[in-house]
Amino acid sequence: MTATYPQVLLKHRKPDRITTLAEYREAGGYEALRQVLTEMDRQEVKTRLSDALLLGRGGAGFPAGIKVQTVAEDAPFPRYMVCNADEMEPGTFKDRVFLHAEPHMLIEGMTLAAYSIKASHGIIFIRPEYESAARILEREIDIARREGWLGERILDSDYDFEIVVHRSGGRYICGEVTAQINALQGIRPNPKQPPPYATDKGLWGKPTLVNNVETLACIPHIVRNGAQWFKDLALSPEAAGTKLFCISGKVNKPGCYELPLGIKLSEIIETCCGGMKDGATFKACLPGGASTGYLTPDHYHIAMDFESLKKVGNRLGTGAVMVFDHHNCMVAATLNLTEFFARESCGWCTPCREGFPYLRDLLWRIENGQGGADFIPMMKTMCRHLWKSYCAFAPGGVASIESLLVYFEDEVMAHIEGKGCPFKK
Amino acid sequence: MPKLIIDNREIDVPAGTKVIEAAERLGIMIPRFCYHPALGSVGACRVCAVAFTEGPVKGVQMSCMIDAQDGMVVSTTDAEAVDFRRHVIEWLMLHHPHDCPVCDEGGHCLLQDLTVAGGHGLRRYRGLKRTHNNQDLGPLVQHEMNRCIQCYRCSRYYQEFTGYRDLGVMGIGSRVYFGRSAPGVLESPFAGNLIDICPTGVYTDRPSRYVGRRWDYQRQPSLCIHCSLGCNLTASARYRQVMRHEARFNGKVNGHFICDRGRYGYAYASAVNRPRQAMAAGTIGATADILAGAREAIEQTVERYGPVSVAVVASPRSSLETLAVAKQACGRHGWTGLAVAGTARQALNQKTAVDRLRPELAVSLAADTKAHDVLVIGADPLNEAPMLALSLRQVQRHGGHVTVIDPRGVRLPFDFDHWAVHPSSVGAIVQALIQEIGGGGASAPAISTAFDVRTLARRLNASPRPVVICGTDILTPREIDLAADLAQALCRTHKVAGLFFTLNSANTFAAALTHDASVSTEAVVDRIEDGSVRLLVAVEQDLWRDFPDRKRLQAALKRLDHLVLLDFVDSPLNHTADHFIPTQPLYESGGHWINQEGRLQASSAVMAGGEPIEVTGTLDHPPRVFDTRIPGSEPIAAWQAVAALSEESVENQMQLLKTALVDFHPAVNPAPAEAAGQRIDLHAISPARVESGVPTLPADEDAPADAIILLLVDWTFGTETLSAMAPALNKVEEAPAARLHPDTISRLGLEEGRPVTVTMNANRLKVPVQADARMAPGVMVIPRHHLLEWQIFGETRVILERSQLKAESA
Amino acid sequence: MLPEKLKSELTAQIGRVAHPREMAIDVINALQDHFGYFSDEALTQAADLLGMSPLELDELATFYTFIYREPVGKHVIHVCDSLICWMENGENLVAHLCGQLGIRMGETTADGLFTLLPVCCIGYCDRAPAILIDRKVHGPLTIESLDRLIDTLRENHS
Ligand SMILES: Cc1cc2nc3c(=O)[nH]c(=O)nc-3n(C[C@H](O)[C@H](O)[C@H](O)COP(=O)(O)O)c2cc1C
Ligand code: SF4
Ligand code: FES
Repeated sequence: MTATYPQVLLKHRKPDRITTLAEYREAGGYEALRQVLTEMDRQEVKTRLSDALLLGRGGAGFPAGIKVQTVAEDAPFPRYMVCNADEMEPGTFKDRVFLHAEPHMLIEGMTLAAYSIKASHGIIFIRPEYESAARILEREIDIARREGWLGERILDSDYDFEIVVHRSGGRYICGEVTAQINALQGIRPNPKQPPPYATDKGLWGKPTLVNNVETLACIPHIVRNGAQWFKDLALSPEAAGTKLFCISGKVNKPGCYELPLGIKLSEIIETCCGGMKDGATFKACLPGGASTGYLTPDHYHIAMDFESLKKVGNRLGTGAVMVFDHHNCMVAATLNLTEFFARESCGWCTPCREGFPYLRDLLWRIENGQGGADFIPMMKTMCRHLWKSYCAFAPGGVASIESLLVYFEDEVMAHIEGKGCPFKK
Repeated sequence: MPKLIIDNREIDVPAGTKVIEAAERLGIMIPRFCYHPALGSVGACRVCAVAFTEGPVKGVQMSCMIDAQDGMVVSTTDAEAVDFRRHVIEWLMLHHPHDCPVCDEGGHCLLQDLTVAGGHGLRRYRGLKRTHNNQDLGPLVQHEMNRCIQCYRCSRYYQEFTGYRDLGVMGIGSRVYFGRSAPGVLESPFAGNLIDICPTGVYTDRPSRYVGRRWDYQRQPSLCIHCSLGCNLTASARYRQVMRHEARFNGKVNGHFICDRGRYGYAYASAVNRPRQAMAAGTIGATADILAGAREAIEQTVERYGPVSVAVVASPRSSLETLAVAKQACGRHGWTGLAVAGTARQALNQKTAVDRLRPELAVSLAADTKAHDVLVIGADPLNEAPMLALSLRQVQRHGGHVTVIDPRGVRLPFDFDHWAVHPSSVGAIVQALIQEIGGGGASAPAISTAFDVRTLARRLNASPRPVVICGTDILTPREIDLAADLAQALCRTHKVAGLFFTLNSANTFAAALTHDASVSTEAVVDRIEDGSVRLLVAVEQDLWRDFPDRKRLQAALKRLDHLVLLDFVDSPLNHTADHFIPTQPLYESGGHWINQEGRLQASSAVMAGGEPIEVTGTLDHPPRVFDTRIPGSEPIAAWQAVAALSEESVENQMQLLKTALVDFHPAVNPAPAEAAGQRIDLHAISPARVESGVPTLPADEDAPADAIILLLVDWTFGTETLSAMAPALNKVEEAPAARLHPDTISRLGLEEGRPVTVTMNANRLKVPVQADARMAPGVMVIPRHHLLEWQIFGETRVILERSQLKAESA
Repeated sequence: MLPEKLKSELTAQIGRVAHPREMAIDVINALQDHFGYFSDEALTQAADLLGMSPLELDELATFYTFIYREPVGKHVIHVCDSLICWMENGENLVAHLCGQLGIRMGETTADGLFTLLPVCCIGYCDRAPAILIDRKVHGPLTIESLDRLIDTLRENHS
């Protein structure tokens, strides 16, 4: 079914193993790198990325083309290329699926991005739960090095690039760029507010480019097929490229699907995922992980791309679609999400560190029949204030609560007035 | 100069000023927890939120994180900002134990103040409180983690500012914990500042625990007199007893902090054995009578043997007032003295340092932190002047570079170059440096290639702001002169070079202005021995502890006709002296001190004095005596006692003090009250070099080959006379030991851990041996520790022959 | 004590990188695998190897989910309790597991075989409900498949 849409990143995905270097080469792998190292100059790579309107796939949706441009020509060396494979956004597992399918696509993408900013050191920051992927990467990096696609004087050019895998100790905040850079330096991974920006003074005080796995994986294809081709992949005009959507929850066929940006939510659910489980009705979904707000049946046909979701005050995030049906209690769901943020808050700034446990307490009381009507304005104010936290963790964390109070206030009131959860009765 | 508007008031501030600081200049105190001027901004607590209504920044933002910029319009009273700050306070109070009634911070607690100011009066949160276990952090600092509001000040101060690595933050989220990996004594000798810097009661002053609320105390601006830096502090007294020291901000000297020697060194003032009554040969009498008796003795002695037979020695810890009156007395009556320094070398060292400290070179402790390159010669900052180490730490933090030329195993809380050279080669190296930078001077003898003089000279010469720091304890006048020459030579390459001396005591600078280098206590003892001095007046000069040859001293004192002692610390001599007058420590007398950079500073009296409850009982309530006079209030200011000895009628003592201060020294402002805080005009110090009857010092060079040099030195804790009497500090001081380079240990046939017995003119000192690979070979270092009877050597820098050392079996 | 072999390996690894600190987590993991958990002894050993103070290392060790500063069982079971696993009936799974092992969340079985810990979304929502046993993922789980898992682990030890 999904085959009707062009497959780029997962085209050669196999059920049980990765695409080997040989297979990857057959499919045209590393050609982009050869082309760049032999006949293309750095600026050209950067220009293509900008023209392709490639937006960061890690959640923030920042234009990759602009980011590479921000590394100053005369910036000091060594420069670092960090691949963010932390993927701890609840509901998200696209990087995992991809890494178990196309490690060389990532290696090539990283090398291209690194080349464009003259980075000599590459680091893949990976969460401990993905140990199998970490092993695969280390193995394939060695192979790539042996075949001359990595290491010193790649393809006899004057360009050297090494990649190492860095295993995290496991914390959600480590996915945030500045926290990740601290983590890599063996410092407590609290975020660090810019300036300076990582592309200016990042790892060990040197220019550092941080990109998500999926973002980097797109680069070889953009370099090879051009910006226009990439833009044409998307269904909506302002969007570009395909996206690895992770659909989980109350659908028949949860999983990771590569689909064009701009595809309708309804189509994802019905066509790709075989519709709702046991004929239940769609009640809501989170479009892009725990840090995004709920979409309701009103949004059922929304185009899934960065712009369209921004228009309805939401975010595409990581494209992790978590689907709820009419049996699910949205208060309980939001409580579960808030528990996550309370547990993972790094503890640096007050609103997040203390605010999430506070909000969790309020939601828990509502869910368990101890709530009061005054909780609702209280939570609204607190959520608003959590936006004034130190980093983007907290604003993401309150998204579900805020949208709960917008779209499901009746359900919340039902809990409060009924002194308990209507779904448990 | 950005111009901005805060709460409708306009202000210009230097570029780079944070909005929170700009507001402060307008007298608007924006709430803050994580922000501290010494630590800078990190934006963690979020309580400094204000609204930016116009200009480059918009919305509610943290005023500590944003630089003041042109056209900014800021409101601290904006409804959203106020409500946000209220919430921040509420969040911070979620887990706070509300134990203010039993919290020592209560009453001067920033959290308390901001909770009230923030309008968070009623608890809304119905969840449980998270609790923590506390740690035993040692005898100085009390830990109570449940009060913590996670401002991160302590970990940032401790690790970033002081450079120690045993206190920090652990855990995550709402469970972050500030403390050590395991309970134990804090390693930093600056740990006490945690108490001042913590905005609530997580770290409180342990010795003064539960003693009183801030408003119960008599509080006065005071000074630390436990080294020559003169750090400013606030002394708190209650029940006629000094209970606590806190750092007092002085931008020119100590900044926001003090060291633990200064913070906890006050116990001597209320020591149970502090002499509080006048005595004649051990029998208690009225102060007035004993004074009269002493005066009579003086007159008789003068009559029989002439004025020079009366000698006066004073102490470098005495106030300027005391030194001035004593100097005047000697001058008027032609008495011998005033002697302050212990030995000829020390007298010469101090005089040389003070004479060479030219105004264009002198820098302050605070200015040191701005230096780019620092060369430390013959000084051990952490042990001799602890806060200097903290200043140097800042130099290194700002990218500057510190090099230390010293034979000791110098340790500093940051990376620095250490040239562990034998004392006898220090001069040669400095000379070589001077030549390298084209300062001329005598050609330097060849020096070990281990030290890259050329590179160092280049760095210093190229540095936009080099500072030469020189000690005066272990060196000889020659090296001190050379250090000054070096600083001057650096000046020639037209840039600001600085010169900074450390001296041996709080008022040594003033003392050096009074005495001529030929009179030291040692010289006075000579004259006692040859019978030309028959009566000795020792003013707050603790001969027993400080004179480097106790046996010789005792013998000499026996030959005297009369011994007159004035002091506020106990000493066996007090009880045998013919006349003993109890004096007041600075907490009772107040006074002025001149620190090592020549800065004249005032210290107010904190309390009237009298028997403290330390003496009268269990610290619960002062004694219930009903009398018009305070029990134990006999001690008088030392300068008054001296005045009484010098003048028949002491009606107008004040007048006498005035003239004494006027005559004291042209450089010293007659009315210190006005001059206090300023560096005295060093121009007025006569540059005339010390000549008159300068004693010749034994040169190390002509020492036998197998000889080693012994240095008796200062340690952070346990050596400085007054602070060594503080029980709290006794608990953290290191046990005394003789330190040598491992090679020297084996060369001398000694053994690490085993004691060595050092013999000096038939006197013995037994002390355990410690190896220190960072030391220069051929050197032995022994602390002037209060637990050691080190006073057998006659000097604090002596040559020892192999035969004087004997290895002992443990 | 640390076996010389492991020690020299780690020293070599640390020697190869520009800044020892960047190896902190790897060294912690290695020592944790050796000691069974990141004990105080392990902490001091690791600190020495990395030239960090014990506190500096503890600042890191206590931050992360997969570093255990207290003793754990031979098998550490991390049960994902985030949204999807919870929605897919994870709660009952946990209850069942606790019953089976006779311990509560955060506890270790008397025989020292199992420690039960919650964990945030492990990135296997497409296989919910999922758990990690010794960092290996299992899911989607049913009560039956979970019991079988535990039984095989138990058998391996008897
Ligand atoms: C709390 C938090 C967690 C994040 N976690 C991740 C993550 O796990 N993986 C990721 O790629 N980006 C994550 N991000 C986004 C990164 O900060 C950053 O935007 C991204 O890695 C940049 O790469 P991109 O531009 O290719 O998306 C996170 C951001 C925040 C605020
Ligand atoms: S918002 Fe949360 S995660 Fe971000 S710095 Fe503050 S406490 Fe840490
Ligand atoms: S003082 Fe500004 S955030 Fe703490």
